[in-house]
Amino acid sequence: MANFLAQFQTIKNTSDRLVISVEDVSDVWPTVKPAFEARLPFKRATLNNKTRNPVLVEALPAEFILTTDARLRSRFPHEQFLFWFREPYATIVLVTCEDLDEFKTILKPRLKLIVQNDEREWFVVFVSKAHPANDQASKMAKKVYAKLEVEFNTKKRERCCKYDMHFPEANFWEDLESKVMECIRNTLDRRVQFYEDEIRKLSEQRLMPVWNFCNFFILKESLAFMFEMAHLHEDALREYDELELCYLETVNVTGKQRDFGGADHGDDQAALVNPGNKALTQIVQEDSFREFEFRQYLFACQSKLLFKLNRPIEAASRGYSFIISFSKSLALHERILPFCMREVWVTTACLALIEATTSNYKDGLVAPDMEKEFFRLLGDLYSLARVKFMRLAYLIGYGADIERSPVNSASLSLLPWPKPAVWPTVPADASTEVLEKEKLILQTTSRTKSFGIQRKPLPLEPTVLLREANRRRASLSAGNMSEMFDSRQGPMEGSGFDTPTRMSPPPKALASSSISRTNSSPGNFEGSIDRPMRLAEIFIAAEHALKKTISNPELWKSLSSSEEFEQKYLDLTRGAADNYHRSWWKRHGVVLDGEIAAVDFKHGHFDQAAKSYEKVCALYAGEGWQDLLAEVLPNLAECQKILNDQAGYLLSCVRLLSLDEGLFLTKERQAFQSEVVRLAHSEMKDPVPLDVSSLITFSGNPGPPLALCDKDPGILSVTVWSGFPDDITLDSISLTLNATYNTDEGVKALKSSTAIVLHPGRNTITLDLPPQKPGSYVLGVLTGQIGQLRFRSHSFSKVGPADSDDFMSYEKPAKPILKVFKPRALVDLDAAVSSALLINEDQWVGILVRPVNYSLKAAVLHIDTGPGLEIKESHVIEMESSAGVSENDGDQVQNDGAEIRTLNSDKNFERLILRDGKIEFPNWASDIPSILWVLVHAISDTLSRGSSSATTRRESIVDGMRTIALKLEFGAFHNQIFERTLAVHFTYPFYVRTRVTDKCNDGTLLLQVILHSEVKATLTIYDAWLDLQDGFVHTGQTEGRPNSSFFPLIISPSSKAGILFSICLDKANVEETREKPESILNIKYGISGERTIGAHPPVMNRSTGVDGARQELIFRSAITLQRPVLDPCLAVGFLPLPSDCLRVGQLIKMQWRVERLKDLDEAGVSKQNDEVLYEVKANSGNWMIAGRKRGYASLSPQQGARIIISVLCMPLVAGYVRPPLLGLPDVDEANISCKPAGPHLVCVLPPPLSSSFCIPVNP
Amino acid sequence: MIVCVAVVGHQNNPLYIQSFTEADDALKLHHIVHCSLDVVDERVNNPKKSGPMLNETFLGLLYPIENYKVYGYLTNTKVKFILVTTDLDVKDADVRNFFRRFHAAYVDAVSNPFHVPGKKITSRTFAERVSTIVKSFGFSSAG
Repeated sequence: MANFLAQFQTIKNTSDRLVISVEDVSDVWPTVKPAFEARLPFKRATLNNKTRNPVLVEALPAEFILTTDARLRSRFPHEQFLFWFREPYATIVLVTCEDLDEFKTILKPRLKLIVQNDEREWFVVFVSKAHPANDQASKMAKKVYAKLEVEFNTKKRERCCKYDMHFPEANFWEDLESKVMECIRNTLDRRVQFYEDEIRKLSEQRLMPVWNFCNFFILKESLAFMFEMAHLHEDALREYDELELCYLETVNVTGKQRDFGGADHGDDQAALVNPGNKALTQIVQEDSFREFEFRQYLFACQSKLLFKLNRPIEAASRGYSFIISFSKSLALHERILPFCMREVWVTTACLALIEATTSNYKDGLVAPDMEKEFFRLLGDLYSLARVKFMRLAYLIGYGADIERSPVNSASLSLLPWPKPAVWPTVPADASTEVLEKEKLILQTTSRTKSFGIQRKPLPLEPTVLLREANRRRASLSAGNMSEMFDSRQGPMEGSGFDTPTRMSPPPKALASSSISRTNSSPGNFEGSIDRPMRLAEIFIAAEHALKKTISNPELWKSLSSSEEFEQKYLDLTRGAADNYHRSWWKRHGVVLDGEIAAVDFKHGHFDQAAKSYEKVCALYAGEGWQDLLAEVLPNLAECQKILNDQAGYLLSCVRLLSLDEGLFLTKERQAFQSEVVRLAHSEMKDPVPLDVSSLITFSGNPGPPLALCDKDPGILSVTVWSGFPDDITLDSISLTLNATYNTDEGVKALKSSTAIVLHPGRNTITLDLPPQKPGSYVLGVLTGQIGQLRFRSHSFSKVGPADSDDFMSYEKPAKPILKVFKPRALVDLDAAVSSALLINEDQWVGILVRPVNYSLKAAVLHIDTGPGLEIKESHVIEMESSAGVSENDGDQVQNDGAEIRTLNSDKNFERLILRDGKIEFPNWASDIPSILWVLVHAISDTLSRGSSSATTRRESIVDGMRTIALKLEFGAFHNQIFERTLAVHFTYPFYVRTRVTDKCNDGTLLLQVILHSEVKATLTIYDAWLDLQDGFVHTGQTEGRPNSSFFPLIISPSSKAGILFSICLDKANVEETREKPESILNIKYGISGERTIGAHPPVMNRSTGVDGARQELIFRSAITLQRPVLDPCLAVGFLPLPSDCLRVGQLIKMQWRVERLKDLDEAGVSKQNDEVLYEVKANSGNWMIAGRKRGYASLSPQQGARIIISVLCMPLVAGYVRPPLLGLPDVDEANISCKPAGPHLVCVLPPPLSSSFCIPVNP
Repeated sequence: MIVCVAVVGHQNNPLYIQSFTEADDALKLHHIVHCSLDVVDERVNNPKKSGPMLNETFLGLLYPIENYKVYGYLTNTKVKFILVTTDLDVKDADVRNFFRRFHAAYVDAVSNPFHVPGKKITSRTFAERVSTIVKSFGFSSAG
């Protein structure tokens, strides 16, 4: 069957549509043909696919062929089955007849004969020639057609339709098409069934030795082709996919060594979109096909169908995988293929596929992500072609034109060298070319990078080409020089990371020249047949070999010169970059842009180069790929330098400096810096702003933020990290502080106008800080100037080591650097004494100065006394540390506890002089609490007044109050002011109360003088006497002094003492004018007290030496004595009422006793008064009085005489009522004593119930 | 042979990148890892395409490149692990296993209280552990 292959091929080529045969019985075809053919291709055909599911086919092409046609007649019957797909799918029997007899006799038998063949699908078209005007004819035609229908229609199927030549019926064509479709569908189904059966049969025999792939292929492809003709592309594609699978199995499974193919001229050009590239008969081999051609053929068929199905994306996707897998197959057969066949094939395959897919791709018809996928595939294809093309170019010596960038290195150095069986040798006549090449190699110098950056270039070659080529070449003869040369090569050859690269891949040009020189040194290998080739020779040999391999003149042209190479290289790179960009693979795209930029740069298109490089740099910088950035950034800087883009160039230099230190040598970094400084100081005319956030970073000092009190200026210390490799001088610097939680506050800048030299690494700079508003501040922006360069840095928090990566440092929360506290008490001034001081004496008043976490260094205190108080200016002011009150905060104890302890143990003491009302604090007092002792004298003109024990004390504390106004200026700049007015209480030592304790019968009064101690000090009374006022005299001979043995009398603080004086009324001179209205109590006393507590011994004028001497002070107090007021003569007593209660309406007797207390004689009252007038007063509503309310009762004038007055009363109302009172109208009330006093109220019960009607019932 | 492993942070910044080649050409591996982020991005941003592996950390083969393979792995915190190998027939299970161990090592390294999240991993222990894992990967695939 394999010999049918050629025939099959030709048949396939000639027939491309379904055939419908026309049996022209009545010779009417020529007349109807135009109308019939106008219906082609059939619109909206419905066919069954392989799984018998209806598929709608738009525009099914077909062809009407007469059965008498040579194409149908000349076929041999045995071919029919094999190539059944080309046989007619339907047969139209075309008849016309105008006579019933003729139909019956001639036509009918003929038709029966035609349609008896079951194999064919047929139907009859009756053509009516009758003109509609001709009634007779049309009637006849109808009759004949009716007869025809009777004859040929069956119940199941109508096989007749009538075509009116002049006026075709409206539905005729529909009818015709549906009939044609029915026929085609049936035929197709039957044939698919047939092919499937055949294929199944063949498949079952697959493992038998007689099995022949070609036969299988013909059947399978026939089926596929039939589907394709029927426009069932989906099914056709599936057949081809199955065919491919089957083929790959046969290729891989069978152990037979087959010819791979690909050795023909032109095979290097991929034919993967061109199924007709080679005739199948050319590639047939025994029972199968050559892999090289056949796989491409299959892919070409598949891609053709995919394009027909409008699926270019799938074609590209399948194509890419196909190229990759096919490239692997090529690698396996590389030894038998021409030199670099694989690379050339891949390049051409990629380009062909790109062209085919893009020309079949229509924009905007697919979903966006599918579109992205498509562009990504195109990018991949371009990029693959680019890599292979670069490899070819490298082999013929254009390596120097290829940028040694990471992307090129990644793709080339991981790609093994071609492995031909024998490396090509130099043709005999190529010595001049070799010489030229050698010259070229020597001329090319690797491009020096800007800033003198010295980098080992990245490798473009997996291993050193020289060695690889010589080894391949010499592998036939073992043991020669190049084998030895190569003896260290590891087993992992070609992986790109083995020993040779480790050994020495110095810059390519260097290596090549040096090695080639040693190799060509005379005498060593000259004359030896297997002399190792020099690099130039390798290039020339490769060039010649490639010339043989490459059949495509265009590709060869691209490799013919370095300019052509570059053009093609640019095309491929641009294609890849553009497509990657469209597929949103920005990294791939941008990196390739960088490659284009390198070429632009080489040609002096610095503008474009800079633009592309900027994109690349932004890509790398944005994601922190510093290593890669370090590779590109110098190029950008160089472009900007050439373009005189000073700002850009400066920025690039700064970015270079701010990269990780390890990425550049110190020397290189210094070069960057010197560029920056040079530009800043010399070249620029206008100031250039620049962000150096990555280079100069700053932070507050570690530890707690600087804490300042409100209104305090300060000095802010900031750590600045300089990323410059050398010292750099900043002309000025300023730093802003941002208030946290207070955005409306304007940003304040701290400035330092002096030049600051930053050393590499950590620097500490200090800035003056004016008073700030309360709040917490973080560092804002650091700005400064270097020459004409205005830099600003936003970054901070780089507290860690300088080499740490500061990428994303902005995420750190900003640490407050300055805290300005809300206004608070920084110092406290208070009186050091808690209790009163002595008035009218020189007393120390203590002022407690207590700094509250704040230094009082060089503080100045203004002292101003209020009225009634004066400072003894003659005296010094004493200041001492207050040990007991060490309230200064805990951290100070922690910080310098030792110091505090010494301060406390050695009590500081100093005398200060008050000048102009102010004193300055000594240094020791700046941090610790201290007491300032000021000698004051409170003046009071009034005399202390005693009071009677009966009356309350009138004197208020306010009388002894004096004020001292204090104003403390402190802080570093005396900016803080604290004002306070202290109240100090002054008092006399005693408060005196008097009381007459007893009144003796002889008229002697015992006057008790109670001395309340008013001070918190022990008072000692040495003597006391009383100067009595007029009207009183001392009794006895003591002249008012108590017995001296009482003294000294010691009175503890806040206690009382009493002294009794016995006095009596001076009856002699009662009526005399009062000279001394008050008595004066004189007390001579001493005081012993602490000034820290309160009253203390007054400071003696210039008597510093006699501290211990007894100090006697005099206290005088005025006491007013009054003659007694009351002089009772009569006592009226209320006698108790009877015990049972009072009731309304019940008479009771009220009794009063009147007693004479003293003789009336003495008082000089008239003798008549042996009777007393009495009167009973009662509320007449409450009481009814029986008897006399008013009358005289006789009472003896003798002392002690008494009478009882009784009155009968009757209460009228119940309740508590006021009882009647007895008054004595004649006697002055002052002379009546109510003793015992009567009750205020008496209880009166309601009257008892009447018992008249409540007779007790006796049993 | 594994030529390079890398840890890439959630902002696509390199956190750790170590090449295991002996030549001084780490930069090209940087490039490979960097470019592979395009694929990772695409997979992460198109969950539709990678529907079944929504909860899968292992991203599988990122690139059908001819001469080397790039595998990816994505942690829940969007940290990516990239593996570049020149072995052309690698079993997925091996790679999965490798990534699992690598992930464990990474977790240990970033759990160090002195490690600043988002910064490069400088731990020497981590580097040693990674190289051990890489070496054992070579063995298991060879054996």
